[in-house]
Amino acid sequence: MEFFNNLMVGFSVIFQPLNLFFCFLGVFIGTLIGVLPGIGPVGTMAILLPITYGIPPTTAIILLAGIYYGAQYGGSTTSILVNIPGEAASVITCLDGYQMALQGRAGPALGIAAFGSFIAGTFSVIALQAIAPPLVRVALSFGPPEYFSLMVLGLVILTYLAQKSMAKALMMAGVGLLLGTVGLDTMTGQPRFAFDIPELLDGIGLVPLVMGLFGISEVFLNVEKVVQREVIAAKITRLLPSLQDWAESKWAIARGSVIGFFLGVIPGGGAVLGSLVSYAIEKRVSKNPEKFGKGAIEGVAAPESANNSAAGGAFIPLLTLGIPANVVMAILIGALMIHGITPGPMLLKEHPDLFWGVIASMYVGNAMLLVLNLPLIGLWVQLLRVPYSILFPLILFFCLVGSYAVNNSIIDVALMLLFGLIGYLMRKFEYEPAPLVLAFVLSPIMEQALRQSLILSGGSFGIFLNRPISLGCLLMAIFLLVLSFISFLKVRIKEKED
Amino acid sequence: MKADQVSPLFWLTFGLVSAFGSIKLGLGTFREPGPGLLAFLASSFICLMALVVLFQSLFLKRGFLNKLSTLWEGASWRRPLAIGVILIAYIFSLERGGFLLTSLIMLFIILKLVEKLSWTRTIVISLSISVGTFLLFNKILKTTLPRGLFGF
Repeated sequence: MEFFNNLMVGFSVIFQPLNLFFCFLGVFIGTLIGVLPGIGPVGTMAILLPITYGIPPTTAIILLAGIYYGAQYGGSTTSILVNIPGEAASVITCLDGYQMALQGRAGPALGIAAFGSFIAGTFSVIALQAIAPPLVRVALSFGPPEYFSLMVLGLVILTYLAQKSMAKALMMAGVGLLLGTVGLDTMTGQPRFAFDIPELLDGIGLVPLVMGLFGISEVFLNVEKVVQREVIAAKITRLLPSLQDWAESKWAIARGSVIGFFLGVIPGGGAVLGSLVSYAIEKRVSKNPEKFGKGAIEGVAAPESANNSAAGGAFIPLLTLGIPANVVMAILIGALMIHGITPGPMLLKEHPDLFWGVIASMYVGNAMLLVLNLPLIGLWVQLLRVPYSILFPLILFFCLVGSYAVNNSIIDVALMLLFGLIGYLMRKFEYEPAPLVLAFVLSPIMEQALRQSLILSGGSFGIFLNRPISLGCLLMAIFLLVLSFISFLKVRIKEKED
Repeated sequence: MKADQVSPLFWLTFGLVSAFGSIKLGLGTFREPGPGLLAFLASSFICLMALVVLFQSLFLKRGFLNKLSTLWEGASWRRPLAIGVILIAYIFSLERGGFLLTSLIMLFIILKLVEKLSWTRTIVISLSISVGTFLLFNKILKTTLPRGLFGF
């Protein structure tokens, strides 16, 4: 009964005209940037963050959440039609999606991606609604040591899942923690690393940092090479998958939904990991694994379901513990804090309208996305023909205006450019920016938790080991670090043998 | 020199300088941690990881980046460099020149000189993007943008 009452609270919020409009705007922009290669949901959310200052916090989060899960839908279109993923979580969809398009089956591929996304998205919202309230009750028993250890675990998981070197990812997490300390110390009021620049006393802004590392650096990387995009030119017909397509995809969608959701919940996991794991599992359980990579519809259905489900799952640590599971959630935390709302276990009690309103908006948003994606596919295909020479000045402009608008400060614009340059070099040298941003957002919370824990224990680090949840998190983190070290040793031994 | 030997050396220096700065901020005691404690722990961790990457690149043969020059193989570094320089000039002139005029000039330079578009396309695109973003942010979203000497 409580389940439905909560849902009613949520629907009463989302069906207010303003919220409904911003939900639509969010999923529309999300689909748009998902379709357009070169700018992902992170950059877009950072760019639009200043716009949310003038709207109520619930509406702002509905808009930003819509962009996130909307991008998961839109990302599949470019993967299938152009063989270029619109965003990272759709990389794996290229393998079978583009092959299907080459075989004249672009319609069913786009159709199953949209339906799979809708089913998985709805599943994840139901699971989120069911799991979040009991988790909030558990989270209320968390003290500073548990928070600190959980954040350590989150950072270790994120770096463990790094696509390149784990040591480099850990190093970036360290840089993020360090950058997060810039500004006035909250306990003593002492300026730290501000170099007598008044604007730095408030710390480095999340918007210039994210826009620089993700928006500007992306532009620099894309203008280096002239990429030819070949859009499948034939008219896309028969978007509705056949009964045969459904029969082949139903279990892939089901498995993708469950796998994506649980990988999305894990701090450091998320949509990218969900899509990769679900594809690998689907290939393993398939009776015809040789079909994968040659146009298997399960190869589209599973990752597309998983990335949407993961988008829903990622809201659990944010709404219950106040900890971002990924960079997108870190931006949402920034948006909540701008509105004076602290995310965490008290969110459900203090702002039930926001909590349930955002959840209900995902039901409505998923339905909107289905309507947006299928009939408007022609429009999205046309957008793919926009040349990058027109697209990148637009991205640059939104970044410039967005970073300036936060504090009306030219220093923020200069910082964004500096982070853009650093981000460009980081990508060249294969350093991932995601651990840096996540650690940057977690840094003030971690510092407070660390200092409070040490004060509570009279200076003893034993406080992190005496509490079961804290100990469990730290043991898990150590286990992952040891696992990574073992794989390094294995590589070394193999090299010696060769 | 390998790229994976250059970058950890940079981060090692960065970590050492930051660690020194953190000590100056005051580490406090474990009973009463000071403002520099987390920064010091983070800086030390950066140094440690930089050393790990450096040693890995020295002792492991595979999975590491080769020579610095290979990072820009098949790519034009001149275009990102040109855009970077134009952006720096833009930042310096934005508050004096005003958003609309400075943006128009910046876009014009990027599209004509870097992207080498035709005159018509350059004029149409730079005008529509700069005026469009000005109207969207300044007039519709009421965002304050630099007005400059000419008032726009």
